[in-house]
Amino acid sequence: MIAAALSTVTLTVLLVGLGLALVQARRWRAGRSAKVGVWAGLAALPARYLVDVHEVVGRTPFNARFHALTAGGFLASLALSVALALPPLRHPLLWGLLALTLAVMLAGGMMVGYRRRVLRPAELSGGRFSRLPLALTGFSAAFLLVALDQSAGGILPVWLVLTLVAVGGWGLAELVFGVWNGPLKHAVHGALHLAFHPRPARFHDGAGRDTGLRPLDLAQADAPLGAGQAVDFAWNRLLGFDACVQCGRCESACPAYAAGLPLNPKKLVQDLVLSLDDGSDDRAYAGHGHPGRPVGAAVTGPTRPLVGADALIHPDTLWACTTCRACVQECPMMIEHVDAVVDLRRFQTLERGATPVKAAGVLEELRATDTPSGRALDRRLDWAVDLRLPVLAAGETCDTLLWLGDGAFDLRNQRSLRALVLLLRRAGVEFAVLGAAELDCGDVARRLGDEATFQDLARRNIQTLEARRFRRIVTADPHAFHCLRNEYPALGGRWTVQHHSAVLLELLTSGALTVTRPLDGPVAYHDPCYLGRYNGEIDAPRAVLDAIGAQRREMERSGLRSRCCGGGGGAPLTDVVGERRIPDMRMDDARATGAPTLAVGCPTCTLMLEGVVEPRPQVAELAELVLTATEPTP
Amino acid sequence: MPSPAETLLKPLTIKHLTLRNRVMSTSHAPGYGSEGKPKERYQLYHEEKAKGGIALTMFGGSSSVAVDSPAAPWNQISVADDSVIPFLREFSDRVHRHGAALMIQLTHMGRRTRWDTEHWLPTVSASARREPAHRNTPKEMEDWDFTRIIASFAAAARRCKEGGLDGFELSAAHGHLIDQFWSPSVNRRTDKYGGSLENRMRFGIEVFEAIRAEVGDDYIVGIRMSGDELIDDGLTNEDCVTIARTYAERGLIDFVNVLGGQARDHMAHAISLPNMSFPVAPFLHLPSSIKREVGIPVFHAQRVTDLATAARAVEEGHVDMVAMTRAHIADPHLMRKLAEGRLDDVRQCVGAGYCIDRIYVGGDALCIQNAATGREATMPHVIAKAPARRRVVVVGAGPAGLEAARVCAERGHSVLLLERAPASGGQISVAAKATWREALTGITRWLTQQAVRLGVEIRYGVEATAALVQAEQPDVVIVATGGRPDRGDFPGADLAVTTWDVLTGVVEPTGSVLMYDGTGQHHGASCAEFMATRGALVEIATPDRMVAEEVGTTNQPIHLRELYRLGVMMTTNHTLVEVYPEGNRRVAVLRNDYTHEEEERLVDQIVVELGTQPNDGLYLDLKEQAANRGQTDLDRLLSGQPQPVPTSGYALFRIGDAVAGRNIHAAIYDAARLCKDL
Repeated sequence: MIAAALSTVTLTVLLVGLGLALVQARRWRAGRSAKVGVWAGLAALPARYLVDVHEVVGRTPFNARFHALTAGGFLASLALSVALALPPLRHPLLWGLLALTLAVMLAGGMMVGYRRRVLRPAELSGGRFSRLPLALTGFSAAFLLVALDQSAGGILPVWLVLTLVAVGGWGLAELVFGVWNGPLKHAVHGALHLAFHPRPARFHDGAGRDTGLRPLDLAQADAPLGAGQAVDFAWNRLLGFDACVQCGRCESACPAYAAGLPLNPKKLVQDLVLSLDDGSDDRAYAGHGHPGRPVGAAVTGPTRPLVGADALIHPDTLWACTTCRACVQECPMMIEHVDAVVDLRRFQTLERGATPVKAAGVLEELRATDTPSGRALDRRLDWAVDLRLPVLAAGETCDTLLWLGDGAFDLRNQRSLRALVLLLRRAGVEFAVLGAAELDCGDVARRLGDEATFQDLARRNIQTLEARRFRRIVTADPHAFHCLRNEYPALGGRWTVQHHSAVLLELLTSGALTVTRPLDGPVAYHDPCYLGRYNGEIDAPRAVLDAIGAQRREMERSGLRSRCCGGGGGAPLTDVVGERRIPDMRMDDARATGAPTLAVGCPTCTLMLEGVVEPRPQVAELAELVLTATEPTP
Repeated sequence: MPSPAETLLKPLTIKHLTLRNRVMSTSHAPGYGSEGKPKERYQLYHEEKAKGGIALTMFGGSSSVAVDSPAAPWNQISVADDSVIPFLREFSDRVHRHGAALMIQLTHMGRRTRWDTEHWLPTVSASARREPAHRNTPKEMEDWDFTRIIASFAAAARRCKEGGLDGFELSAAHGHLIDQFWSPSVNRRTDKYGGSLENRMRFGIEVFEAIRAEVGDDYIVGIRMSGDELIDDGLTNEDCVTIARTYAERGLIDFVNVLGGQARDHMAHAISLPNMSFPVAPFLHLPSSIKREVGIPVFHAQRVTDLATAARAVEEGHVDMVAMTRAHIADPHLMRKLAEGRLDDVRQCVGAGYCIDRIYVGGDALCIQNAATGREATMPHVIAKAPARRRVVVVGAGPAGLEAARVCAERGHSVLLLERAPASGGQISVAAKATWREALTGITRWLTQQAVRLGVEIRYGVEATAALVQAEQPDVVIVATGGRPDRGDFPGADLAVTTWDVLTGVVEPTGSVLMYDGTGQHHGASCAEFMATRGALVEIATPDRMVAEEVGTTNQPIHLRELYRLGVMMTTNHTLVEVYPEGNRRVAVLRNDYTHEEEERLVDQIVVELGTQPNDGLYLDLKEQAANRGQTDLDRLLSGQPQPVPTSGYALFRIGDAVAGRNIHAAIYDAARLCKDL
């Protein structure tokens, strides 16, 4: 009777839960269609969970442990509880097994309780999550007692056991009904998100990294460009938002949030989740909000404008993002925050013309002059007159095509480009530049949502490049590197593209460059987001520094978990005000190392970090350091 | 207005030549030539600017094309024969290596030179009219002179091309032969070379036509000319515009390098090379007027000492290339610093005219504040780090002490600078109080700012004693305590005050004042001007043959102009022999140095300028315990070897006026030469 009661309660709760999940699924089914490999995705799900999700969760081992105990114990106990519905299986051994899984889950639940009640990490949301430990321990403890009692042959009075089943049933219901709008939502949605993820290539069964934005079909007549309302997102994007467990890892990683800019990526995702509810608001959200922004002011709805002064997402929130991907890097649910931000920006820019003032000016310049600063293209080589750079004309061939980027228009970055040119010459690399034929790569336009300008620039750049022959493209600009390497292929341009750090390493390793004056001093290295997180290149710059004798010091937050300089995604143009400047915070990380030199490998990082008031470490571009270290001895 | 970098770091293409930015240095004659050739010293001086990022450096001011235009006696360049070509090749390679272009100025001086030197040939000109500056009357050119001189211009042009130079300009400014023909004040001919402007332009046109025939149309040839001679019987702005347009339209010239004024007399000369009393870019309107009318690039130099002014000149369209010639003498790395965003590190020309004043008395051009300029073979513009870090205590924050502190800090030493006064500057702070001499403070302001940037610890208001210095446990002590005014030793010297008393405000000049100047430098003249502007009735007396006799040609006329304007009485050839009181007033006894007759002046105040005596007390206190007993090893100093520094105790050095009263350059050279090797 006890077994029947327990399995019935379990089955009933699970069936109700399934129903709730199906109703919930209808929400995100309202989104746009998306091409998804359903069966392949489902087949890949377990491995993605065990490899990719585990890699992220495992960065905080305590969490990984309680999650494994709780989720493992829970799933196993559910299976065993359901199995008890079959009378032949109602064996004390099964009860014993059930007791074991429940004990495991209880341990995990107590750890969850310890985390939520004692450790209380600031980034965790409260609300329904506050009841999670009670539900976990309530269910597992009550059923554990039942299982122990039954495996021992039934010692306790039946009324007591039935009461325990009821208590456990309440805990179970609390957990399972959470698939509707509670903590356990993430289990169902997270699993489905893994299977139907919009970027399957990011998992270990794909390329392992997939960061290029997808081209927007500008010709589509029936639907708006970008996402103006919740239903403008593809269904699997909405599914992804629903997978959010509000763990706050993104919040802890976000440079904008840390600087007090009105952006909390966790809240942003929750805004997108809430927007699917009609006529509600965000009052029930129990985590940190967007700094400086009130909650409860806007009404939600799947077809209401998402962004606006009175909408759920304030424009300042949207434009504060630096697209640094720190949130994506940290998200255990594999949510693609930056894609969402760009989709929202695309709508604002392309459909509403609502790009913030300075950014709109830059987009105007890009459309009119093909450079963000409005300079004539033939001025790109002004700084290099005395270097007499060979310009590769259409039909000509060279080994290395040096993509100069927008840094060539900037006084500071001209210095590092000069150093790079001198190094290539010193090493005997045969190279050429495009000269006036090089247009802006389109990075800023694209991150600001101006997909039309990006595609226009990209297509014309691709035409230019296709008319010339070369072995590889080398650039000192990680943003150009990312566009050319990861985003041009979707438009038909495929070349070998290298960041100059990899080339310098190659030249140092091959002996083409010889270290004559080792650096001999501590150097901190700042990973550019578009090189590190976007392209996974964190080793070559470090190896270059090691090769020239630097005593390398790692900053708080480095490598793939580096902190943004504040310069990506057009953020310096949208210029949303916060409590601090992002580069100031980053420079504090550099100061803390005590190194007098901060090495950088990105023109934007150079400008952002050098803009920090002194006293501070001197900012030096990798090429500049290598140039000094390989100066021929007289 | 865009930033200076945005405007100035924009290339300019002239025919096949692309100049990397808009800043150049005009041809001048620093007196570095040797046997009429630009040898190592000359080349290194220009190479430094090329290294420093300049687009175009032009050398060889007034380089001669013919034997009757002597060059060698003033250490200038002669392009009158082929022996110069190998030097030009070496020079071109040296400058091109750093991405800069190199051009020369060619000229025939006509009557603007001397006949009593080199080959002792008579001077020639359009007409036989006496030239006041060089005090000679030329021969009027006859037919074969035309043939000869035109051919020598063409031959010189060929040598430039063969020497690998990127081009050259002909000088038709400052009263050289070509503009002697242009100017109605000189040209009184009645043949086809005189009379109408068309006729007066003819000689120059024939010269350029011969040059074009020799070097072709694709070689870069320009002209340097005045935009207005600013004299009654000279070329007007309208004339100059016509000339420039005519030459340009005929395809004879590829650029025009415009200046204002001429150099016929002392004042005109001073105006054409404006010193610190002038506003910046005083003649910018003249190249601007020509640029409106010609389709070729316009260059211009004349007191453009800062990059903001240079940028304005280009951005507003007055000129295409702005010449910062003296600015590069002060800091040959000007453009590199602009490109590196290090504007604060630019050592800006203060317009003292020290560089140019020296060459008119047969010296070499040296910068009042940069001891490395013109000494590139021995003095570095960029100070290298020392192998070992030392503790250096410098006493005195005048030019010598500041330069010592700066160079030692650049060397990587730990430097403490002690200064008695509440601020840095030393004697420059005193000198700068005298009217138009104010800009001198730029020298010590830059040095102070550099010292601070380099981490020198400066303690103001500290009277350094031997105990205090030794307590710092220095490896090196540099005493740069400067001097104090010499009050003289004539009877009654205690009744006179000094220029320092007046300029620092200790004594307020009132009533009638006798300024007695025993040095003939800026001090006496500028102090007299200072007192006269404050309402005193001033007489300046000097044993020299003229007032401010030791002041150079671009500065002395300004002193004289000011003294005349202010009604200062000037008494020369008299020595002050005695002062005695009469009531509250003073009587000065002045003795004529030639007749020995004595005159008396009854005045309210007597101010004397007799130079300085060294402040050597601290040096003497430190000397006994110093490992080197204060001795500078002169052989090591001159050969660029480090002075020996003891392993225990300290080495002691004394520099600047603390040794013997000299000048700002001497103080800075003392410091830089000693410290670059420490």
